[in-house]
Amino acid sequence: MKTYPKNYGYSASNRTSKWQYLIIAVALIFMALSALPNFFPKKQRLLIHSNGAEKAAIQASELYTQLADANLPVNAINSTEQGSELYFANLSDAKKAYERLVQVYGDEYTIMKSEKSGIPQWLVELGLEPIKLGLDLRGGVLFILDVDGDKAFSDRIVHIRDSVKSITRDNKIRDVNVAIANKEQVVVNIYQPQNLQKVAAEIQNRFPLLSMFYESDTQLKLFYAAAAKNSFHQEIMSQSLSTMRGRIEELGITEAVVQRQGRDRIRIELPGASNPDDVRPIIGATASLQFFQLQERGGKYFKTESGESIAVSPVPIFSGKHIKNAKAGRDEMGMPLVHLTLDAIGGDKMLRFSARNIGKPMVTVFSEYYQNTSGETLKKEKVISVATIQAQLGSRFSITHLSSPEKAQELALLLRAGSLDAPITIAKERTINATLGEKNIENGMAALTLGIGVTLLFMIAWYRQLGVIANVALSFNLLCLLGLMSLLPGAVLTLPGIAGFVLTVGMAVDTNVLIFERIKEELKRGRAVSIAVEQGYKNAFATILDANITTLLTALILYAIGYGPVKGFAITLGLGVLTSMFTGVFISKVLTRLFYTNSNSRREKGVMA
Amino acid sequence: MLNDKLSKLRFMGLFLTLFLVLISTGTMLVRGLNLGIDFTGGFITEFSTSQSIEPSKMEQALQAHIVGKFELTSAEDSTNWTVRQPELLSDGTKNDLLTSNAWLKNLQESVLVEKSNITIIPLDSDYIGTQIGQELIEQGGLAMLTALIMILVYLSMRFEWRFALGSVLALFHDIVVVIGIFAWTQLEFNLTVLASMLAIIGYSLNDSIIVADRIRESMKLNQGESLSHVINAAIRSTLTRTLITSGTTLATIGSLWWLAGAPLEGFSVALFFGIFVGTLSSICISATFPELTGLKVDYYQIKEQEARELQESI
Repeated sequence: MKTYPKNYGYSASNRTSKWQYLIIAVALIFMALSALPNFFPKKQRLLIHSNGAEKAAIQASELYTQLADANLPVNAINSTEQGSELYFANLSDAKKAYERLVQVYGDEYTIMKSEKSGIPQWLVELGLEPIKLGLDLRGGVLFILDVDGDKAFSDRIVHIRDSVKSITRDNKIRDVNVAIANKEQVVVNIYQPQNLQKVAAEIQNRFPLLSMFYESDTQLKLFYAAAAKNSFHQEIMSQSLSTMRGRIEELGITEAVVQRQGRDRIRIELPGASNPDDVRPIIGATASLQFFQLQERGGKYFKTESGESIAVSPVPIFSGKHIKNAKAGRDEMGMPLVHLTLDAIGGDKMLRFSARNIGKPMVTVFSEYYQNTSGETLKKEKVISVATIQAQLGSRFSITHLSSPEKAQELALLLRAGSLDAPITIAKERTINATLGEKNIENGMAALTLGIGVTLLFMIAWYRQLGVIANVALSFNLLCLLGLMSLLPGAVLTLPGIAGFVLTVGMAVDTNVLIFERIKEELKRGRAVSIAVEQGYKNAFATILDANITTLLTALILYAIGYGPVKGFAITLGLGVLTSMFTGVFISKVLTRLFYTNSNSRREKGVMA
Repeated sequence: MLNDKLSKLRFMGLFLTLFLVLISTGTMLVRGLNLGIDFTGGFITEFSTSQSIEPSKMEQALQAHIVGKFELTSAEDSTNWTVRQPELLSDGTKNDLLTSNAWLKNLQESVLVEKSNITIIPLDSDYIGTQIGQELIEQGGLAMLTALIMILVYLSMRFEWRFALGSVLALFHDIVVVIGIFAWTQLEFNLTVLASMLAIIGYSLNDSIIVADRIRESMKLNQGESLSHVINAAIRSTLTRTLITSGTTLATIGSLWWLAGAPLEGFSVALFFGIFVGTLSSICISATFPELTGLKVDYYQIKEQEARELQESI
């Protein structure tokens, strides 16, 4: 084995080609740039303005003495004609100074606390941002929503009335009177008892939870018993909850807390959302889509955009809850549209309906709840399209005639996130602080630093020169992971994310340990250093690939099916696997070659063994 | 001699893991888990203070008044506070809305004593549902199951079904033991702990695969040694790596446990023991299981020969 020519390490297959250096350089520079914004801490600042124009700004020296008297440190004071800016090292200093200054100047000056991002302007212009921290690490925005279950209930009663009407019409039953009484009951009068029974059977079939009471042979009362009404409410609440979860996930916020609060409220805590205005329209919207059959007369009436009045069958062919996926796009003419994919039930309904009605029009109605100026919740319904069914439609088709691509995007998002039967209003909106608190995060970071420090020291003590390579690779790995996490808009770092981080560090070290142990083995067998290095990387690679692919697989599944914290963990873990493959295998291989193929083999052996 | 000893150790370890699983299951059944508010739902009380107070001070003040555990968050520069309490107290008695916020009155008095000019204004108190709805628990279960099946399939393809099943059994052991530890210590089991369980899955698999990979490699190169010998040799040659990786990871988690304090306690405990038993099970379960279920030592050699013959016949 030792008789290999000495220049084995320079043969074409072993040499690091220029493009490999190029890839590494480009990737590292790019990642370092993306990670850079994380290293500029936010500046804590106080702003002082005078209440009236007549009062002059306070002198910097005066502010300084005021704070120094109270033993409060300040980093910088910036006084101009308009007012003063004070910068502090941390939040608690800023708070203490705030309290002090309010005491002294509070009557004549407005004092405001504000954070200023410490990121240099050129980075901001590149569109780079620091990593987004989760609710537990940073705080976020709180929404409390009121779910109007009563409105949903009365809508349901109206729906039952319309269904009864349509059943009687379909069965060609005449002399029918259907009305709503006390907002809670539907009273059905049919003057032929056998017809009434027939209708009753069909209603029971469609609404199994509904109770029935025969006032007489010809009069039937339909209502929900207390238990059924309650379970209707539960159903509405859980539908609203899962729709909200869906919408928030669509927005790319993975670590939100969505909980039911009290009988008919929903509590949503959104980490990382510093601007509630971005989120409000999506959370607050109660949009749903329904597809109707056009009919000659009777049923429901809608006004089209051109002002024409059309009548549709009161019972929709299917509703938004059967929509599995919705994607905005454009047709051949470049007009905006939304592609829909229905679930099995919806697809089946559509298939049967369209087969029977080729050549007939179908009406698409978009409905949304909104509040008018006096605070009442009203339903706005809009006909999006009246289109002729050209062919039999299955579970995939599109909605056309949308006014703009933005509208198509919004409609697709709302449809993807599920429909809401109950109107929702935002009852409360507030910015909340972190659960863990500043101190705890500092402690956690100190702990992570210590852990990583111990790891780095150990690697150097154990592997010497190779340990240095492993440490360089590990640092690059952390840098790449930080960069990727900062780049991805949906990635939020939370406590579970830190678990992913710790695991990633462990696995990144593992990659190098696996390789180095192989190299040592090869050296023990008496191979030359350059061959041992190549063999070590080659042998360890299969193992590393197997281990990492399995982990990646786990991360992918967790990301696809899990939610919230599970998703956050999956993101860190998955990205960590990718970066540790890149740095642990690719970069450290190049580094090892650089170290060992260019120098005297006997000396290195002494270093490595 | 050394070989026999190692085999003995492995089988003893296998019994130990079996024993651990039984004990953990028993503890879980008897003591149950101390589920956090994330899982159980509970009460939420909101109040505001007329002045900003350090969250840590507020936490201390509340500890004196609130029976059982609670979670505190603050808003609007620490003038607005939210306290969450579980529905069930740790002794199993039920909390209700009335007793759950009786402390608020006491707090008013105590803070007044401490800092004379602060008033507490109660804002809202309500019952909150779990953060994890039923459908999400089902979804999570489905995710786990899918993950396990996919891993089984992938590993069966790459290795052999016995290795795959061995790795999944090892993983199962790790999770059960960690849950058992949580049942035993009654540390709070919350979403963060759940996330660390996921990390344990990743770690345990990684460990099992590395050992399995070495066994497979040795089996291919094997010349007449017994399977038990091959497995032992593979474990010996990966032992340094296993110890280094587990050691450095444990060091990181250990420092989290030591320095990061209460909020990360459950999280670091789960990871620490998970990785510890994960290392154990990768040797005792995933490497030993194929031997127990009758894997032939020349499995890969025969397979390679078959592949060669197939190629020649074509």
